[in-house]
Amino acid sequence: MARIGVFICHCGENIGETVDCTKLAEVTSRFPGVVKSVDYKYMCSEPGQTLIKEAIKENRLTGVVVAACSPRMHESTFRKTCSEAGLNPFLCEIANLREHCSWVHEKSEEATNKAIDIVRALVEKVKLNEPLYPIKVPVTKTALVIGGGVAGIQAALDIANGGHKVILVEKNPSIGGHMSQLSETFPTLDCSQCILTPRMVELAQHPNITLYSYAELESLDGFIGNFKVKIRKKAKSIDENLCTGCGLCTTKCPVKKIPNEFDENLSYRKAIYVPFPQAVPNKPVIDRENCTYYLKGKCKICERFCPTQAIRFDQQDEIIEVEAGAIVLATGFDIKRADFFPEYGFGKYKDVIDGLQFERIASASGPTLGEIRRLSDGKIPKKVVFIACAGSRDPAKGIEYCSKICCMYTAKHAILYKHKIHDGQAYVFYMDIRAGGKNYDEFTRRAIEEEGAKYIRGRVSRIYERDGKLIVVGADTLMNARPVVIEADMVVLATAGVASPGSEELAQKLHVAYDQYKFFTEAHPKLRPVETNTAGIFLAGACQSIKDIPESVSQASGAAAKVCGLFSQNELTRDPLIAVVNRTAPPLYSTCVGCFLCQSVCPYQAIEKEEIKAKDGSVIKIIAKINPGLCQGCGSCVALCRTKSIDLLGYTNRQIYAEVDAILNTL
Amino acid sequence: MDRVKQKARDLLDSNKVQVVIGYEEGTDGTARPVFIMDSKNIDKLIFNDRCYHNLAVYLTKVEVEKIGRVAVEASLNTLKGIVKLASEGQFVFEDIDILGVNRNGELYEFASLDEVIDYIDQHPVEYSPEEISLLRKIESMTREERWEYWQEEFSRCIRCYACRAACPNCYCDACIVDINQPQWISPTPDALGNLEWHIIRAMHLAGRCVNCGACAKACPVDIPLNILNLKLAEEISKNFGISEEFLLTNYPLAIYDPNDKENFIK
Repeated sequence: MARIGVFICHCGENIGETVDCTKLAEVTSRFPGVVKSVDYKYMCSEPGQTLIKEAIKENRLTGVVVAACSPRMHESTFRKTCSEAGLNPFLCEIANLREHCSWVHEKSEEATNKAIDIVRALVEKVKLNEPLYPIKVPVTKTALVIGGGVAGIQAALDIANGGHKVILVEKNPSIGGHMSQLSETFPTLDCSQCILTPRMVELAQHPNITLYSYAELESLDGFIGNFKVKIRKKAKSIDENLCTGCGLCTTKCPVKKIPNEFDENLSYRKAIYVPFPQAVPNKPVIDRENCTYYLKGKCKICERFCPTQAIRFDQQDEIIEVEAGAIVLATGFDIKRADFFPEYGFGKYKDVIDGLQFERIASASGPTLGEIRRLSDGKIPKKVVFIACAGSRDPAKGIEYCSKICCMYTAKHAILYKHKIHDGQAYVFYMDIRAGGKNYDEFTRRAIEEEGAKYIRGRVSRIYERDGKLIVVGADTLMNARPVVIEADMVVLATAGVASPGSEELAQKLHVAYDQYKFFTEAHPKLRPVETNTAGIFLAGACQSIKDIPESVSQASGAAAKVCGLFSQNELTRDPLIAVVNRTAPPLYSTCVGCFLCQSVCPYQAIEKEEIKAKDGSVIKIIAKINPGLCQGCGSCVALCRTKSIDLLGYTNRQIYAEVDAILNTL
Repeated sequence: MDRVKQKARDLLDSNKVQVVIGYEEGTDGTARPVFIMDSKNIDKLIFNDRCYHNLAVYLTKVEVEKIGRVAVEASLNTLKGIVKLASEGQFVFEDIDILGVNRNGELYEFASLDEVIDYIDQHPVEYSPEEISLLRKIESMTREERWEYWQEEFSRCIRCYACRAACPNCYCDACIVDINQPQWISPTPDALGNLEWHIIRAMHLAGRCVNCGACAKACPVDIPLNILNLKLAEEISKNFGISEEFLLTNYPLAIYDPNDKENFIK
């Protein structure tokens, strides 16, 4: 026989002012099965909780209804209270009198009556509650980090230094990401490579880290703590164990005119190449799309010169299967390129370049060895126009967000330019200067006040070429929209930052949510910014939204902390509020008919096939089975199942039916 | 028809199948399903406009499974039922022999499931002018009139579940109306119980129904269930923008497609 206790909280005046709690306690005490009903000013307080604990023991309660605030607020509090008094925590239910009644109604008899109905529904439900026990799943203490830019590097190092194994997958031949392309970094102007490359080397040499460069995620199965990962290691066409990275092959390769991606296509590389001198791993790959041997079937000059016979023309892509307990996504970002800005002559005029190209030109290791020169004729540009918000914050261009880093790097570009060309003049067209961050505003002030950059608030309507000059036509909105025409030698567009190519496909492989711009979505914008909605998959860096280096690194360390927290236990404990497929007596075994339509509706890929076998091993029936590690208890399958063969524990069909029935029968 | 019979005979004689499911002459000028296990009875097989039963309905029955391998005389509607059932994992397509018959009773052979789907795709559903005009008539009613209309229609229902028995997609071992913990739908043939039954039947078939009309033809009290199905088919294609061919092997209410025409899911 059910012995239910009802505990009514006044929540100070939140509930007590609107609902007659004394009457509520009196009426509910007469409900069938209710053996104790009391009201109290603050049930969540220490004395309130003690009240519940003592009542459980004294009245030998089999179920508890706490009529208080939203279960989101204190369900765990009261379940813990019950647990401490020896009652299974899942035999405690919360009747939400605050959000569902007192906060939305005036003080009245009807409000009290509604409260009575709410409690009645929960009393009927709790009578059908069954004890549930937390689910334990083992944890594979290896993390997979996808993306080897600064965020991926930081996350990998932090997790590895925490004593756990890390597998880092980078799609390019070298780790380093966009940061390795940068000249100097704001707001301190320290050399990007000088601070990054030691980290890259540390990563490569770390005993806990396995690096797969030139590799991509092939597929992902499994769930938090137990991911099964397939990695496609693209054929580098060299034997990495034999290659010493001497670089002779690169020197001898006759294919010279391949645009160098690392230099943003401002220089050329060979068909067998190392992307940049400090690359990690510092071993070449053969670009099969451009290699003469792969195109025409002969050449093999690199093979002839290789002192260690490390060239492998017949090497195949390799699929590596690994297990991981957690995944950090750090796939970074990209920027909009030429075809996006026809009005600025981008792609048409050689001296209209993007921010990353300017970084390469300003970089000591870049195509001009750090001298700022025009790409068209190699002359020193005396007037350079920087255009911020090229594409960003522009609904007409389909990108409504702020790319965030451009204000700062444009100020940096203006400073770098002035440092290298003392008699040059930098102009910056901007919409707003967004320089929030430590020493950021001071940095932009420095660009304007000390380095003489002329900031013009307004947008550029078009750019055209005349007599070797780029005529930049814009408006100064702080001067009554006075037209501004500048004859520039070079124009740098701070083009919009966008999600890196392939983000959508990757998100679909991982079942991670992404927004309309293909950036991965965090679980909560404020309180869970480094987690995704898929348990065990975390975010680091610009793959979530455009970020600068300090932010990327912070988030990477945050993600690493989450991973280390996850790995601090041998088993994961989860709430058992998951869906289960019913089992019945033979010959039915289950009312499930195996249509598996639930499989397609499940957002978590938690539904598998289970064979019910006879003693001789023959298959009698195939039914759905829900993986408790993957199920998040959303209930989509329960709603879809035509035969009602799936039940959500804690919210079974019978419980919900009883709850609804209790409300309807009082109307 | 001779080629159909010949193939059926060959299949039985060579013991490749143990039963041929087809149509035979019934009483009072009707046609009815027949199970032929001996090839000397093959001449009973017929095919004409009176053969409206969707024979796919038998393929999920345990009793039929027990006989052995099955060959089915499959009209267009039966073919649709077969494809749908195979897509819902109720049997493996290759485990069934298909004696396809076109409208004139000529044999059609299919080498693969894809060929069947192609054939179905080339022969879209044709609704009769009577069906379309009834649907438009119901659509033009006010809400209250429509409610009255269906209440009136459903009031005749005697809950014999002939509609369920005739439908190839109603293959659940335990139908929701038979589940009593909790009792979701009242089994009583009264206004509420009948309404609940027909609404839930329609919902369970939305996006799955192959529009064969077998349910309406089976109904002893002539409730126009085919009109409900027709309306559902229209709603599904309107709201999901999905082709009939796609619907045959997919369930639009349970899929996520990044290319969906609705943006809100992204």
